[in-house]
Amino acid sequence: MRFFKKTSIDFMGARKTWYMVSGTVILIGMVTLALRGVDFGIDFLGGTEIVVHFDQPVSISDVRTAMDRIGMGKAEIKTFGSDQDILIRTAEQAEGTVIGDRMLTALKDYFPTNPYTVLKEDKIGPKIGAELRRNALYAVLASVIAIGIYVGFRFKMVYGIGAVVALFHDVLVTLGMIAIFNGVLNLEINQNMIAAFLTLVGLSVNDTVVVFDRIRENQKIFRSMSVSDLMNKSINETLSRTIITSGTILIVLIVLLVVGGEVTRGFAFALTVGIVVGTYSSVFVASAVALDWTLKTKTSGKLIE
Amino acid sequence: MSKYRWKLLVIVATVGLALYFLYPTYRDYELHSQLKELHGPDSLQFVENNETDLRENRAKRIKLGLDLQGGMRVVLEVNVLKLLEDLGKNKDESFSKIMAEVREEVKKTDESPVILMRRKFEAQQIRMSRYYGSLRDDNDEVSAMLEDESKKAIDRAIEIVGNRVDQYGVSEPSIQKLGGTRINVELPGVSKEAEVRQLLQGTALLEFKLLKDPDVAYRVMESIDKTLASSGAADTTDTTLTATAGFTDTTKIDTPEGEMDGEQFAKKHPFFTVALVSQQYPGEALVAEENREKIRRWLDRDDVVRSIPGDIQFLWSAKPRIMEGGKKYFVLYPVKSTAELTGGVIVNAKATLDPSFNQPIVTMEMNSEGSREWSRITGANVNKRIAIVMDNAIFSAPVVRNKITGGNSQIEGMDNLDEARLLEIVLKAGALPAPVEIIEQRSVGPSLGEDSIRNGITASVLAVALTIIFMAFYYHTGGLVADFGLVFCMLFLLGVLAAFQGTLTLPGIAGIILTLAVAVDANVLIYERIREEQATGKTLRAAIDAGYEKAFSAIFDSNLTTFISGVILYQFGSGPIQGFALTLMIGIVASMFSAIYITRAVFHILTDRYGSKVTFG
Repeated sequence: MRFFKKTSIDFMGARKTWYMVSGTVILIGMVTLALRGVDFGIDFLGGTEIVVHFDQPVSISDVRTAMDRIGMGKAEIKTFGSDQDILIRTAEQAEGTVIGDRMLTALKDYFPTNPYTVLKEDKIGPKIGAELRRNALYAVLASVIAIGIYVGFRFKMVYGIGAVVALFHDVLVTLGMIAIFNGVLNLEINQNMIAAFLTLVGLSVNDTVVVFDRIRENQKIFRSMSVSDLMNKSINETLSRTIITSGTILIVLIVLLVVGGEVTRGFAFALTVGIVVGTYSSVFVASAVALDWTLKTKTSGKLIE
Repeated sequence: MSKYRWKLLVIVATVGLALYFLYPTYRDYELHSQLKELHGPDSLQFVENNETDLRENRAKRIKLGLDLQGGMRVVLEVNVLKLLEDLGKNKDESFSKIMAEVREEVKKTDESPVILMRRKFEAQQIRMSRYYGSLRDDNDEVSAMLEDESKKAIDRAIEIVGNRVDQYGVSEPSIQKLGGTRINVELPGVSKEAEVRQLLQGTALLEFKLLKDPDVAYRVMESIDKTLASSGAADTTDTTLTATAGFTDTTKIDTPEGEMDGEQFAKKHPFFTVALVSQQYPGEALVAEENREKIRRWLDRDDVVRSIPGDIQFLWSAKPRIMEGGKKYFVLYPVKSTAELTGGVIVNAKATLDPSFNQPIVTMEMNSEGSREWSRITGANVNKRIAIVMDNAIFSAPVVRNKITGGNSQIEGMDNLDEARLLEIVLKAGALPAPVEIIEQRSVGPSLGEDSIRNGITASVLAVALTIIFMAFYYHTGGLVADFGLVFCMLFLLGVLAAFQGTLTLPGIAGIILTLAVAVDANVLIYERIREEQATGKTLRAAIDAGYEKAFSAIFDSNLTTFISGVILYQFGSGPIQGFALTLMIGIVASMFSAIYITRAVFHILTDRYGSKVTFG
């Protein structure tokens, strides 16, 4: 069985159009991000977060009244999976874990006939929150740069640049999508989400490297072919593999997104978007940027001299 | 087939090894599901009967992270500033003013409070020796001393926390130093949060308690032994007990029935079978590490509690004693329940080497009120033993040589300087508490953990099934071989995880699912290549070989880049995220091995046997 026959699509010729498409998507995402922002998880915000499971469903407004009574009406309150599971979060800081204790007592007092069990209680001090934020940023930057250096070293520096641009593209598009879909899906940027970002960085460069590897190989055979034609040929040849692989990963991720539960939802969402964008970028962005860089600096785009 | 002997051997050996490492995980699961079915005395009996089995498999299984089994993770930070304030003497107004300023500044920077404080003092031209150390010390000396004290405070805090967690009886706790002033405490399965927080934060209670005289101690243990024997605590069908009894050196215990064989002895003297009366000090009993839980259970039984006189209490040694053959024994001491003295009276303690004998000793200094009491207590108990107890665990039980007046005592008999240092830490814990604060706390209720496991497993199984079906469908024989490779890869990954006693977290499960994707990718790369090679008219065998060879560089480069992000994730991440990075990294290695070596070997064997029946769709 074969989904794809031999294709000969002119990817490089249309690259200006794809730059526009990418640019627009990133722009929309960033504008949404600027206007609506994203929710940071408790890891990065610092503060206290509790998730409780009530015996009977409760309404958010009742929970808010309960919180209001202890002066925490501004706390973020949302359901966590079902309307029996409630998440309450506040950035307020106090010595030890008194905030969590106060919230739990307030719930007990307000819902005397509806007992709860504590599913989760997190308390993050202000220093830790700042540290985790910093570490997350470093982790993403360090991995993008390390990958860029590796690709530049294994191929040529222009290709390293192409790969890095494609990675930033993926991260920005995914971030924008998270901002857009946040309202519907309850997504938040937490440590798991950072793990998702780093994975999508790894998987996206995976695709890019496969294309570059083919360019390197074809160059040995078709010595006089122009860089642009070589790229087109290589992308077309690897297209079937790219789609099959990404398709399989996508199936796996959609499974995780649907049955994985509340805890892994953000993670699965970011990766699902990331796989689609990463596949797209390795075809339309990474090679194209390497090509344009070559043309602009008038260096040779050959991977082997 | 003989030319593939080695390849087959490698495959079979790897699978066998993986299964060998995974067996304890399976057995542990099986035992615990059986245990869940039982209630009350039945479950207790089950635990007694399968004690060794339960313990050993639990230790070797793949551990579950706190997010999956529920539990608590707490990060404690020693409040160095508070310690500095406590350490200061002759405190006056300018001292409190400077301290208040430092307190504000500490919140903003990562610099050590000692440096901040020193800067303030120097700006106001106040010598630090006004408040710390002796008058002749310059600021460098004082700073060095204070830095050293803050370092010691964290060791003290770790000792105190570790000891309490041990007393509380959490299974498989983890207590680690994190950076300079932090302690990471992980308590799996703990759900009584308030209780545990209390446990971690309060100040340590140091007490001096008198040991019971050997004859009294022996009588009490004898009556416990009788109580247990009469209620049939030791069942002879109990394999664990007989096994332990076999090792017991019965001559150590002075009983008229010295001629009995192990089994009979165990039946008649359940307590003395596992608690061996020490020959060196008859007032204490030695209990092998693995039997400690059993004795704890026995000592909690109502009928046993009734048989112990009210003024006697059983306490454990905090650390095990290493005996011949490296076996660890904890010491069980019968002591007088009421403390003679509490540790608040200790002013200072120091571990040193005795200059004249070159032996490690600990010197202890008490305040005047303590000294008076101490002289009375030691005077009345010459040649008896006094236990140094912190939070109900005995750290040392020295013999009183003579009446100590003046409050300066010297404790001898430590095996090495480390032991002496531990005692110094403990003695100081009473005088100079190490103030700790909870700066991070995460707890996951067991029900959320169960949900997560269920969801994670459902997702994994479904994902694996869909992928396997798709591969077989799309690549025919090739797909089936790839499926074999996938199963092999999963087995290998889990086997490595078990062998290194790794921890499986929720993101770790996600990492496994991703490994699956990476493994599929390697196969797809190869098969697409084989198809291309076949299209150029190559024979099946030549196409397979060419496909594998040409796909290699792409697989290697792409996997290495994913591996790089795994390494970085492991470096920067914490807890669960590291679990993800770990499974991802092991998974990449596993999938490369499986895709490049294993499946290729399978193809060689298949093409030899079935020739052109092997197809790639």
